[in-house]
Amino acid sequence: MDHRPVSAVSILAVIVMLPFAPLAAQNAPTAGDPTDARAWQQPLTPWGDPDFQGVWRYEATIPLERPPRYEGRAFLTDEEVAEIARVEEELAANRLAGLDGAAVGRQSLEDSPIRGNEYNAFWQDHGRARQVYRQTSLIVDPADGKLPYTDDAREAAARSTARYGVGPYESYLDPDTGERCLTDGVTAMMWQGPNGGHNRIVQSPGYVTIVHEEYLDRRIIPVDGRPHGGIPQWLGESVGHWEGETLVVETTNFPDKTNYEWASIWTRTSDALHLVERFQRVGPNAMEYTITVEDPKTFTRPWTAAVPITRLADNTQIYEYACHEGNYALKNMLSAGRATAENE
Amino acid sequence: MQMGRPGAIAIVAAAVIAMAGIHAPRLWGQTTGYVAPRATDGRPDLNGIWQALNAANYDLQAHPARPALALMPAPPPVEPAGTGRARTGEVPVPAVRALGAVGGVPAGEGVVVGNEIPYQPWAAERKQENAEHWLERDPEVKCFLPGVPRATYMPYPFQILQGTDKILIAYEFAGATRTIHMDDVGNSPGPTWMGWSRGRWEGETLVVDVTGFNGQTWLDRAGNFHSDALHVVERYTRVSPDHLMYEATIEDPNVFTEPWEIRMPLYRRLEDGKQLLEYECVEFVEQLMYGDVGLVDPATGQRNE
Repeated sequence: MDHRPVSAVSILAVIVMLPFAPLAAQNAPTAGDPTDARAWQQPLTPWGDPDFQGVWRYEATIPLERPPRYEGRAFLTDEEVAEIARVEEELAANRLAGLDGAAVGRQSLEDSPIRGNEYNAFWQDHGRARQVYRQTSLIVDPADGKLPYTDDAREAAARSTARYGVGPYESYLDPDTGERCLTDGVTAMMWQGPNGGHNRIVQSPGYVTIVHEEYLDRRIIPVDGRPHGGIPQWLGESVGHWEGETLVVETTNFPDKTNYEWASIWTRTSDALHLVERFQRVGPNAMEYTITVEDPKTFTRPWTAAVPITRLADNTQIYEYACHEGNYALKNMLSAGRATAENE
Repeated sequence: MQMGRPGAIAIVAAAVIAMAGIHAPRLWGQTTGYVAPRATDGRPDLNGIWQALNAANYDLQAHPARPALALMPAPPPVEPAGTGRARTGEVPVPAVRALGAVGGVPAGEGVVVGNEIPYQPWAAERKQENAEHWLERDPEVKCFLPGVPRATYMPYPFQILQGTDKILIAYEFAGATRTIHMDDVGNSPGPTWMGWSRGRWEGETLVVDVTGFNGQTWLDRAGNFHSDALHVVERYTRVSPDHLMYEATIEDPNVFTEPWEIRMPLYRRLEDGKQLLEYECVEFVEQLMYGDVGLVDPATGQRNE
């Protein structure tokens, strides 16, 4: 086991120790051998910035919040790791073999421990087993691995979960921002998926640009030392700088969109939202990404997630996620909701 | 006032068209002699925020100003001009009338080399029909991805971000982004709104070969259109510190009888700290597209009838 220390940003500047190496070489998604990372040197762009270019994606199994069964500990045991790895391998094998298409309606691992082609699963296929890490939650601060919701936000989150896929859908305001083809927000952009979770990073002098497949989300991040402006935008306004080989990005100037439905309340955009992200490449195909989220309208305190991100093969493409252009579902949900109400 | 008559408009249009036609085609990259500053890889540096300043998005071809994109036909004359009461020319349809001068169409010299678009006969009819149904049919109205080359000359800036093996073109309108593949990526994996862009350098010029279109985008607000067989070859050439020349050859054997070309300068946005901002227009068109579909109209809070 390779336990390498990683500095995780937080408002308190706490140094958190994280084991960030995939557990088994067979879980590595690309040809890169994790052991290469020791001899690996950060490549530079022709103009001298650390080079992060390529397509990156979160490929691991770590849940955002710590599940109750792991309460009180930040890391899995060897036995737990082995069991999760076994389930992941079997899931991937089942999916690739096209097995179990009959298990329609079982939407989660909990419902269906060894399945693979459940409804809403087949089209999110990674095509390979996900990577297993020892972390019990992406959230590393607070120490309990839980989102520090305000009471109001906790209620909003419960309401959002309860109405997901249920409705009512009386107008275009009832679906969430994702279903409306707007965005799911910046907070989880680097690791949200597997539905369109690819991120292409392109660098040019003075800029790092991230093109996120889902919703065509795009962040053009100046790294030329300019200050923040003052224009609110859905994806905020990002300003970055290099600290050694680490890209640090501070994002602010979000508009208040808490009046809308959000699939996940913790990714919603408010005018109090403030993000600090750190991108550090730790190997040819590995990035350690941390994000500290501060939003007093949703959380009682800042929280930090530490997320391992994988660089995919060089020929990986970002496809055109023309969501709004083909949003027949929205129209159908509304006309169905109306027909149902008018027939009652 | 005689200028209100359709006949006068036609004369002005003909004159503008004749003037536009005198330009002979030429490739700017080979003729200006301007040598662009180099990016670190030795290629011309196209980085920056650029914008077209012309009326091409209204109509690629030469056109006089008019009161609106959507007009009601003028009433037919009942007596020779000047012998009876004055009558209107074309007036805006009710849906856009309240916009007044904001909804007017500025004149333009056109950006089509030679001004003619060589439509096949059926396609010329379709173009006319598109123009008459602009408000219902133009994908721009619905905030759909604008396609190529239209994204270039919409009235919004775009940013060229020159990476090492990919060049991004980030458009403000609808947040559209194109990846220009400078490496070998093969053919388009499927039909798209923004096309599949493969680039190469020819001296001072970035040449982008664009295919893989879905046939649903338009070329302007005048109803100019194409099919999924569209093939665009774009040429981006620095012609001064703050200008790019943009040339595009448009080929579509399903719609046109032969390839044709557009050409226009693009201007650098020189404001200090200029950034590409967000134009997330999906949110702006939901009321238009869905307001009357559901049980409740969000604009009124009342049930739809």
